[in-house]
Amino acid sequence: MTNTPAKILVIDDESHITHVVSLKLRNAGYDVVTAGDGEEGFEAAVANNPDLIITDLQMPYLTGLELSRKLKETKATSGTPVVMLTARGFGLTQDDMAGTNIIAMLSKPFSPREVLEQVETILAGDGATGNAKAA
Amino acid sequence: MKLGTTFILWSAAGAAVAVGAAPLALGAIGASNASVFGVAGVTAGLGLLLGAPLAWLLNRDNDRLNSAVQRMNDEGLAFMPRTSPFFEGVLSPLRVAMDQSVSDAESVKARVRELEIRSRITEGERGRLEEVLQSLQDAVLVTNQFAELRIANPVVANVLGLSIPDDLNRSIDQVIGDETIRKLLHEAHGTGMASHRKRIEIELPNAGSNTEGAVRTYEATLACLPDPNEAIGGVVLILRDIQREREISQMKSEFVSKASHELRTPLSSIHAYIEMLLDGEAGDEKAQHEFYQIIKNEADRLGRLIDNMLNISRIEAGIVKAKFEEIDFVKAANAAVEVIEPQAKMKDITVRVKSGPLLYSAEADRDMLHQIFLNLLSNAVKYTPEGGRVTVTVENDETSGSVMATIADTGLGIPPDALPRLFEKFYRIENYKRVAKGTGLGLNLVKHIVETVHHGQINVTSELGMGSQFIFTVPYTRQGAMGIAA
Repeated sequence: MTNTPAKILVIDDESHITHVVSLKLRNAGYDVVTAGDGEEGFEAAVANNPDLIITDLQMPYLTGLELSRKLKETKATSGTPVVMLTARGFGLTQDDMAGTNIIAMLSKPFSPREVLEQVETILAGDGATGNAKAA
Repeated sequence: MKLGTTFILWSAAGAAVAVGAAPLALGAIGASNASVFGVAGVTAGLGLLLGAPLAWLLNRDNDRLNSAVQRMNDEGLAFMPRTSPFFEGVLSPLRVAMDQSVSDAESVKARVRELEIRSRITEGERGRLEEVLQSLQDAVLVTNQFAELRIANPVVANVLGLSIPDDLNRSIDQVIGDETIRKLLHEAHGTGMASHRKRIEIELPNAGSNTEGAVRTYEATLACLPDPNEAIGGVVLILRDIQREREISQMKSEFVSKASHELRTPLSSIHAYIEMLLDGEAGDEKAQHEFYQIIKNEADRLGRLIDNMLNISRIEAGIVKAKFEEIDFVKAANAAVEVIEPQAKMKDITVRVKSGPLLYSAEADRDMLHQIFLNLLSNAVKYTPEGGRVTVTVENDETSGSVMATIADTGLGIPPDALPRLFEKFYRIENYKRVAKGTGLGLNLVKHIVETVHHGQINVTSELGMGSQFIFTVPYTRQGAMGIAA
């Protein structure tokens, strides 16, 4: 039986960030899809049905929060966990996160190692396949 | 003799009391006249009481006594007849009593003068207090112990819609429409503690705004005034308008938040790429080189961001050191075009400078003018598609006495809703973020250099899909640029 690697969608309007995060995750054996803004991210989420979404907060068209609410409201993505990467100096409030599937938050500047750890923890808890299974 | 002397002394003392009391009620009554009436009465009494020997003596001296009293009346106490021991015996206590009377009268006069002076001082102080209250920017009102309005300055009248003096001495319930203020004043009166002080923030309808429901934030201070029995004699309410402070504080907070976001973004890339290199996850040598290049570019971006922030901050704080000199704007434009040329060539964009045959010069700071041209040209090239054109036109605007430069492109244009916000700090057109990178501070800096440092003007016109024109002017001479550190 062949394990399918978990699919992760990385959304950021800074191409350097999507590039480095996706490289880290690909090196760990994950299947990575990227998008450059909120709207593109939503379309990619619906089209690819990822196991996890890592998104920036402040983006054109749709912010990370607006995107997360839209994902939660959409049947195909209503259960997809979201990790928020934020360059804001403070965290999101409970009110901000109401009606979303945001389960973790990482503050920029971030460490790619920490992103990977977070992804592994979430996917392990979720029962999805991680790098160990995919390797 | 002794008895008579004693009697006279009593009588004189009685006269002195009468004299002493008179000025209290009537003011400056002649003290010596009153004394004379007292002495005449005394003289008649003595004849009846002391019999013939004394009567004889009195008769003998009567004329002299009357004459002496008359002289005393006319000449005052300086005259002191000493023709006989008896006379001396009669007049000595009288003199003491009169001295006392005059002294009392003087003392009362002095007191009256003092009271008059005090009254004038009090009037003056009251006038000054009223002037102080009138000139205060804070709103001040004072109530009495019955919660009636006693004092209200023009600011409080405006803020609370009071009609002064008509509303004075009326109950606060009748004259103050705002429920919060009424409640606060009643609360203060109700505490029963003269030491009561309270400071809170409240929102009141904005008297100067036509917008319905517009409010301003005030800091309200309430202090009770004690009366002589340590009960509440009234309440002072001071309203300080803190709306502007609030707005500035909010602006600062937004600036810090935006600056933090902008600084963290390149820092994130630098941090992440270095970690990948350290972890040996960058890939082959070519990929590693690409990583180093990204780190360098992002570090440069961080540097530009910090420079822009510091420059804007220095200009805003008025501590910028501008070195003004006569500058040929055509030469300045060409110098900036030279810098931007390689970037333009990569996109096959033509950049040229157009001007007439005249000299187009104004007093400006060379480096700052270079920065203006560079920022505007860089934006024009960034947001103009391949094969486009960027034109710098330099001309004289005799109407405003300035050199006018226009940087026009055939680029994407600016959406109408973005035009009013274009020069704001950190403002970037969302849809264009992916077209080109930027700090969101470049145009804000340009505006500051043109308007704050050079006292010129900058404007933008644009049509979506057709391109944009940034036009700035710099006055020929610095006469309009006063207050700028040279």
